[in-house]
Amino acid sequence: MSDNKEPKSIERRRFIRSGMQMALAVSLGGVAGISFLKATPKDLVWQIDPFKCVQCGRCATECVVTPSAVKCVHAYALCGYCDLCGGYLKPDANARSTAAENQLCPTAAIKRKFIEEPYYEYEIIEDLCIGCAKCVAGCTAFGNGSFHLQIRHNLCKNCNDCAIARVCPAEAFVRVPADTPYLIKGDFTKGGKGKKA
Amino acid sequence: MEKNIKYILWSVIGVMLILFLWWLLKDPTNQFVESTPGEDNKGTDSTVVDVVNIGEKFESFGTSTSGLKGTWTRFRGADFDNIVKNSQPLKNSWSGDQPEILWSVELGEGHAGPAIYEGKVYLMDYDEVKREDALRCFSLEDGKELWRRSYKLSVKRNHGMSRTVPAVTPEYVLTIGPRCHVMCVKRETGDLVWGLDMVQQYQTEVPLWFTGQCPMIDGNKAILAPGGTSVMVAVDMATGKVLWETPNPGGIKMSHSSIMPWTFKGKKMYVYSAVGAVLAVSAEGADEGKILWKSTAWNHAVVAPAPVCFPDGKVFLTAGYGAGSMMIQVTPSGTEYKVDVLKEFSPKDGMACEQQTPVLWDGHMFAIQPKDAGPLRNQLVCVSPDDVTKVIWTSGKDGRFGLGPYLIADNKMYVLSDDGTLTMIKPDSKKYVQMAQKKLFDGHDAWGPMAIADGRLLLRDAKTMYCVNISQ
Repeated sequence: MSDNKEPKSIERRRFIRSGMQMALAVSLGGVAGISFLKATPKDLVWQIDPFKCVQCGRCATECVVTPSAVKCVHAYALCGYCDLCGGYLKPDANARSTAAENQLCPTAAIKRKFIEEPYYEYEIIEDLCIGCAKCVAGCTAFGNGSFHLQIRHNLCKNCNDCAIARVCPAEAFVRVPADTPYLIKGDFTKGGKGKKA
Repeated sequence: MEKNIKYILWSVIGVMLILFLWWLLKDPTNQFVESTPGEDNKGTDSTVVDVVNIGEKFESFGTSTSGLKGTWTRFRGADFDNIVKNSQPLKNSWSGDQPEILWSVELGEGHAGPAIYEGKVYLMDYDEVKREDALRCFSLEDGKELWRRSYKLSVKRNHGMSRTVPAVTPEYVLTIGPRCHVMCVKRETGDLVWGLDMVQQYQTEVPLWFTGQCPMIDGNKAILAPGGTSVMVAVDMATGKVLWETPNPGGIKMSHSSIMPWTFKGKKMYVYSAVGAVLAVSAEGADEGKILWKSTAWNHAVVAPAPVCFPDGKVFLTAGYGAGSMMIQVTPSGTEYKVDVLKEFSPKDGMACEQQTPVLWDGHMFAIQPKDAGPLRNQLVCVSPDDVTKVIWTSGKDGRFGLGPYLIADNKMYVLSDDGTLTMIKPDSKKYVQMAQKKLFDGHDAWGPMAIADGRLLLRDAKTMYCVNISQ
């Protein structure tokens, strides 16, 4: 008759291995669960409703982060790709060129690139953007409104106590789900997804 | 101990000196990059230069008989003031499905306005599929296209393509296309009379977003402002022969504005708000075709509204894109004229327009403020020419009309909003009185000038023209 009973040292080893596996599974599950809970729409973050924004300039001065965590973003689908871009050029500029005296942006954060007659592409250099909204005002007044401000959540402290929201004169700061934290024109439109502003 | 203090002192002084030198020699701007022209890599104009054979193609689609006798013969109507005199009675209010849309026609993207002559509608339109610029003739009765005279031309969409209003006489129709091609045809038959390429002939610089200047017919002459080598020219309507050319030593450029006739102290002249200056060219006599007066004080990159001239020598100039407005005073001085700037102001400080021209009614000016006019943006305002910075009334924050066109007929003002809403207003110099309002269609960029004849109002958005019955 053979003895099927395993030695005690092997049992201990299996017990430890099983225990470790169990602990790892529990911890991974826990992390996944916490991550899931964190990413659920129940969590809210601040964002700017671009249709309410009045381009007052306070995003540049009131943010606790320097330079501001609010940046201009560009909805390329809305852009007219104009030569005379109200967001790039000063009003009534002497010439439509890249010369500093013609540029509206105080930090030259907008790059202009010639595509073909009569079209130009405009790109925001986010590192230079201070969120002053001068370009947004110009684009809204004279163009299609493709430039608009958004809180960049990789820069925002997400402290839930937004200093800009407190002083925003247009109440354009709204709470949005953390898993869809941006209100980009074109994707997001006033009145819900799929509806035109 | 004393020696140590000395060492410490000298060390501190040394460090301070090094820091001072570092501060002195450090260039905090060495990271700065100069913004200079040409960084957008703009090369020369790569647009294909067409060999354009103006009016080369004619298509006939049918005939139409009409008892309609009304006319709207050019930009701003017969008297260049956007006011219809002797109009037939128009409805005082709209109820239910009024005003009725009688017909509509799909168009190429643009802002060109129609002209009307005795039951026929004439409109410039660009066909993107065929790549043709066309003068189209429609029946005012039912919108049916009767004929079109066209020519091959490359035009890329740039906030619309066609944006001019033809000029019509009993005999002719005169047009300017997006790339400054002038075409004269017989009004009834569409037969080509002559064509003129202003870019080829006068080195005209095609304005941003294409030509906006509406052609003028004065008697037997076509009056055009090409800029380039000639600031203004007159062409014989019957033959296409150039009658006179006004030299352009100042390099004035074509704007989107249109030439306005003005008779001041018995002298008839053509006033043009160009890019680079405002000027007047003699329209009669021995000095016909000569510049009578000019002011470079008015110099803006984009000018669309036409000048508004007053009997006392004042001329109101306005433009969009941040330019604002200016009131000048023209005074005869011997055989010459003197021009003084009376007032210059930003859109936030008084009446200004981006696209349309103010309408003068009962001694007051009415206009829609541009989007950069602060709280009054897109509102209809009324001012006195005596002080154009003092707003008498506005349509209020609920009365914003975009950049839409307006005209006056039968003592009523009709304003079309960007989105296709038509508003009827009582033109009153004391207060804003809204009589009726109706959203006629889901419009987009309804900026083209309107036309009215026989109680039928023609209006358009970027892609469709509508005929609306507003008669009683």
